[in-house]
Amino acid sequence: MTAYKFLRAGSVGPFTGFRWEPGQWVETDRAAPCETGVHACRVDDLPYWCSDELWEIELDGDVVSAGYKVVASRGRLVRRVEAWHKVAAQELADAAAARSRGLSDAKPRDAMLRAYAEDAERRAGQGKVYVATFIAAVAAEHAGGPPGRDAERAAQVDWFRRLLG
Amino acid sequence: MKWWQWSRRRSGPPQSRPEDISCREIVLIVNDYVEGALPVDEREAVEMHLNLCDGCTDYLDQLRISIELTGEVPTDPLAPEFEEELCFAFRSFTRP
Amino acid sequence: MLRVAMMFVSSRAVAEEVVQEAWLGVLKGLDRFEGRSSLKTWIFRILTNTAKTRGEREGRSVPFSSLGGDAGDDEAPVDADRFFGDGHRWAGHWASSPRNPRDVPEERLLADEARQRIAAAIETLPENQRAVITLRDVDGFDADEACEILGISEVNQRVLLHRARTKVRSALGQYLDEEAAA
Repeated sequence: MTAYKFLRAGSVGPFTGFRWEPGQWVETDRAAPCETGVHACRVDDLPYWCSDELWEIELDGDVVSAGYKVVASRGRLVRRVEAWHKVAAQELADAAAARSRGLSDAKPRDAMLRAYAEDAERRAGQGKVYVATFIAAVAAEHAGGPPGRDAERAAQVDWFRRLLG
Repeated sequence: MKWWQWSRRRSGPPQSRPEDISCREIVLIVNDYVEGALPVDEREAVEMHLNLCDGCTDYLDQLRISIELTGEVPTDPLAPEFEEELCFAFRSFTRP
Repeated sequence: MLRVAMMFVSSRAVAEEVVQEAWLGVLKGLDRFEGRSSLKTWIFRILTNTAKTRGEREGRSVPFSSLGGDAGDDEAPVDADRFFGDGHRWAGHWASSPRNPRDVPEERLLADEARQRIAAAIETLPENQRAVITLRDVDGFDADEACEILGISEVNQRVLLHRARTKVRSALGQYLDEEAAA
């Protein structure tokens, strides 16, 4: 099965520090979410795990789906998604911040919403992409409850779908 | 109940989304995270949060470094006469 | 080993005797060692048993888990005012976040000053927390081994370790804050 994986610069796992070699199979004895196994994202999971590099990963063996990820007992990096880079990530952040601004403009008397929109814009301006997308989700929930939040995250997922082509 | 116990119980609006975990809560459970003792859903929440929070990432780094530095603290050296006594006891020990 | 022995007896002098007695116990019992735990764990277990027996003879039969007491441990891991308060749109998030340890040049981090602060923080820990952090982070025992050596539950070990490491982290955090301000 094909999935996606975010890694830190240098193809390093963000939480394990494990250095990945593209093309090489990595195996564990089982897939236990958060404990052991190769962790990866479905497209819907992508907005939550943003990091420096995005890779296409092939998963094999036991594959377990959990929360906001899938976990497999074997995996190998297939191809780097070159389209995900700093400039693209900035676009994602700017789009999210713009949506927050739109929500705030539609409710000019909501001071907290305006504050959230300003936070999102400020963070996007600082290049803090993942913070900006999170703030946008929180702002959307403030404006439109859980469905609003889901819609914002869905918009971010759509952005990724277009990126992946 | 102390403030952190209160926040641990997450009273207030239900926080069903793991990414809504607050920094205050992270600080309470980050050692359990390091120990690998968190249940799966909390571990995921911690990792999602760390991915987007520099403050908590720095807190975790500080925790890891302080564990390392703890390991380098010199332990009580044995008083010389005590060390001598111990060596004497070893040397004069004969198996029954 | 002296540090652990001191948890159970009244003085350093008695603790030294306990350590000596424990080593003799090790020598006598060595051919009975079955290898079910590591040698080091087994040795420390003999130490704590010896220390507890001696402690009981001295009239000290305080259960380990209450050594040090819980009173001062109602402190929060971090000052509440470093987080946004309730009512703020980011309630519970960092208002004044910790220093990135990588901002401090490595030489400063590894300097004696940092180590001294850590050592001082460990010295002020209640005995039970000090014992756990010593076994885990100084002597390198894992969680199961520390529980076995001290005869405490996994949960108890983890709570004590959390409190101890939190205080040590706090000492480092303060040092880093000062370094950054300088």
